[in-house]
Amino acid sequence: MSEKVRAKVKDLLDSGRIKGFLGLRQADGHLGPHLFTDGRELDALAVGDLKRPGDTRYPLNKQLLTLMRCDPDDSFGVLVRGCDERGLKTLITWNQVDPAKVVAVGIACPPELAAACECLKPYPDEFVDGGKVEGSTFASVATVDALDLHSRLTHWLHEFSKCVKCYGCRDICPMCFCKECSLEQEDLIHTGDLPPENPIFHLTRAVHMAGRCIDCGLCNEACPADIPLRTLYKKVAEIIAQEFDYRPGYVEPGEKPPLNILGEAPEH
Amino acid sequence: MTNSIAELEDADCIFVIGSNTTSSHPLVATRIFRAKEKGARLVVADPRQIQLALKADLYVRQNLGTDVALLNGIMNVILTRNWHAQSFIDERTEGFDEFRKVIAGYPPERVAELTGVAASDIIQIAEWYAKAKAASIVYCMGITQHTTGVDNVKSLANLAMLTGQIGRESTGVNPLRGQNNVQGACDMGGLPNVYPAYQAVTIPDIQKKFQNAWAATTLSDKVGLTIPGMLSGLAQGSVRALYVVGENPMVSDPDVSHVKKALQKAELLVVQDIFLTPTAELAHVVLPGTSFAEKDGTFSNTERRVQRVRKAIEPLGNARPDWEIIMEVSTRFGYPMHYGSPAEIMEEIARVTPSYGGITFDRLDGPGLCWPCPDKEHPGTKFLHKGRFSRGKGLFHAIDYKPPAEIVDAEYPFWLTTGRVHVHYHTGTMTRNSPSLHAEMPEGHLEIHPEDAHRLTVRQGDRVRVISRRGEITAKVSLTTRVDRGVVFMPFHFVECCANILTNPAHDPIAKIPEYKVCAVQIEKAA
Amino acid sequence: MDYRTVLTTCAYCGCGCSLYLEVLDGRVIHTFPCKTGPVNEGKLCVKGWNIHEFIHSPKRLTRPLLRQNGTLVEVSWDEALDFTARRLREIKEAHGSDSLAFLSSAKITNEENYLIQKFARAAVGTNNVDHCARL
Ligand code: SF4
Ligand code: SF4
Ligand code: SF4
Repeated sequence: MSEKVRAKVKDLLDSGRIKGFLGLRQADGHLGPHLFTDGRELDALAVGDLKRPGDTRYPLNKQLLTLMRCDPDDSFGVLVRGCDERGLKTLITWNQVDPAKVVAVGIACPPELAAACECLKPYPDEFVDGGKVEGSTFASVATVDALDLHSRLTHWLHEFSKCVKCYGCRDICPMCFCKECSLEQEDLIHTGDLPPENPIFHLTRAVHMAGRCIDCGLCNEACPADIPLRTLYKKVAEIIAQEFDYRPGYVEPGEKPPLNILGEAPEH
Repeated sequence: MTNSIAELEDADCIFVIGSNTTSSHPLVATRIFRAKEKGARLVVADPRQIQLALKADLYVRQNLGTDVALLNGIMNVILTRNWHAQSFIDERTEGFDEFRKVIAGYPPERVAELTGVAASDIIQIAEWYAKAKAASIVYCMGITQHTTGVDNVKSLANLAMLTGQIGRESTGVNPLRGQNNVQGACDMGGLPNVYPAYQAVTIPDIQKKFQNAWAATTLSDKVGLTIPGMLSGLAQGSVRALYVVGENPMVSDPDVSHVKKALQKAELLVVQDIFLTPTAELAHVVLPGTSFAEKDGTFSNTERRVQRVRKAIEPLGNARPDWEIIMEVSTRFGYPMHYGSPAEIMEEIARVTPSYGGITFDRLDGPGLCWPCPDKEHPGTKFLHKGRFSRGKGLFHAIDYKPPAEIVDAEYPFWLTTGRVHVHYHTGTMTRNSPSLHAEMPEGHLEIHPEDAHRLTVRQGDRVRVISRRGEITAKVSLTTRVDRGVVFMPFHFVECCANILTNPAHDPIAKIPEYKVCAVQIEKAA
Repeated sequence: MDYRTVLTTCAYCGCGCSLYLEVLDGRVIHTFPCKTGPVNEGKLCVKGWNIHEFIHSPKRLTRPLLRQNGTLVEVSWDEALDFTARRLREIKEAHGSDSLAFLSSAKITNEENYLIQKFARAAVGTNNVDHCARL
């Protein structure tokens, strides 16, 4: 499905609408993130998975933030799936991204990926390629919910006790943009321990992401301990949706979340 | 490693001994966790109750330095209960009878006394390991850094051969290399007795081959010195010049005070590094090399996978890539070296290194290649010893337990063991210059059991003096039941609280690996 | 603005994780895992995630240093290299090849390890080559 994306990006670059496009490139035997700045390098542009669903999903929005902070006057394009678009909208809500300076080029996710993600909306509002697949419900959450309270606690304590404290869940998260991270507050979480304090470390993050997590699952994929973090955050998202009728990323930019447990995110 | 990291995922039993995997090799721990999710049995043997111990089906805490006894005990059980793989032993090994005689002396009850591990646990480990369809052994420096390091490793090989848990997918004896390119440094002949690919310097044909390949006038057929030999050579005056690339023996070697005296005697100390390490501070000349981000090349990981290092930025300031610096020194020394790029060096490596024979930079895109990769068409080798050991028949070694070189006594009543922490690496030159890692653990500490701390009237965070026969340091204490009563642990990354002032330079007679993992110390509350 | 992502291999432990360095105007500013890395499959440990942090440390050595009157002072490359080569040669001539010794390293590349042992063996004529892998 690279063809249509390539044509669209070529237009954007050639017309000068954007200065660069953050997408995926086939190079060095891998499909990895790349900033395309020249229409002539687009032959190497690619989308799609290599071995398993999601194995070429990268935190492009996070890279976009870096670019926009360094070069606030220029416009950039970015490849977005459903989750990335939710991320972009939420970043706009939190004043991290100037909407006038971003052009999203959308693709809809294939059924395998959509199913693996249990994504409510596996496609962006507009997309240049891919077919629309219906969203699914959070089966993983239902499975854990079906356990009794004690088994649920045991389940999570077991999972969290594998944590190797890489901070990868935070570092890869496109919605983690705080300058000071509560996971590093010595009075909240004791440093130097492995595993980190269980369950404080994980619940601190879960709470902090409430109303901000857009369910992209990148944290889960980055976790060396295979902790089902996405399931945890999906559960948090369900609670927020039930209690406050709010789902970050599924509302239009600007609509602020109903609660700010740990205060406003810093303005940039 | 005999097998690849990913294969661990499909083992039915994983026996981890002397490896704090979640801390030192987290991405190997990933596969161990996965194997466990898939139903594998996890056995952990470690004097410290490490994170993986909490996830183990069976965790045993053997006394420091008693690994051979523990392993012999396990093998004794396997033999008495007939759980060994007789056909594998008959077809593929030799030396079994001699070995069997020694093992007979290690019934579980005796071993329990030596190791502190319950006889029933020894039997359980034997059963799970021997009866598994595919069992993997994972070990690290907790096995090698002993005066009996080679014995420990051979005992693990014995165990794998005895049960036929080698030469197949998801089995094997799998050492985890501590530093990213230890494997490569060894493969490339960074050892006193071998040229690249472990070709002995003492074999005339091989010597001739390298003499031709390198257009060298003569090559020495004498096995060279290991680090301990170099240091005593410096102290005695037989070694006069030392050229150190990227190493920091002033923090990394045992009995640092002795190391310093030796280095200070050098007529010429050349240090090539990216930081002014304590070793570089003693140098006569310091040559600024570059980090991995400023050059092209390859690293070989612990599963023998050769992967690309790609230049991301220009060298900082006037620093130069290390390969260029060596080339320049050599040329000025009178032995011209002219390579246009690391890719060109690899072409030469492939010519003289049979196991790297098929490796070129353009083949290393994607997942890289695991050696042996003898020719351009060869796809690389996932696991070793399939059908046949490299020496032909696998040799059983009859090995008796020997106690560590230094044992506790009335004067030095605590066992000290050393190791790594998750946020730091080696002598800390890189990690301690990384703000995020530094913040996670800014200083060294001494782990001590709460009961011992209580007896010494010290509390969490108090400072103590730790004294061995070699020297003394002060350290902050951290109270934890991770260590047993009578045992203390220190990470070795911290120069200002340098565990290696205390450690014992007594080393394995063959591998020359010092006994970093065991020495005796006394502890006093600091004034 | 020059922005690139460069695929490389982690320089810390022996796992050999594949990672991307994010480079902005000649500075490495972030690290993230390569999803299709054969060992790490999109994951890194805390050291890997922060591997960019030491690269631009102000404590990095950027000029050759030579000991003069007891202290290390900055000199040109020519001076440092000539000094090194000359002193190595003098010591070899006065005391023989085996009075020189070399430590290669688990931190440098295969190519660099190869060259240092080749220099020791072919140019100097000694097998006194070792490294600190025992740690
Ligand atoms: S799913 Fe994970 S990575 Fe994605 S926004 Fe939520 S917390 Fe962040
Ligand atoms: S990514 Fe996983 S292992 Fe790393 S800090 Fe987060 S939960 Fe822990
Ligand atoms: S990221 Fe961590 S586990 Fe991976 S190679 Fe680097 S240090 Fe080792």
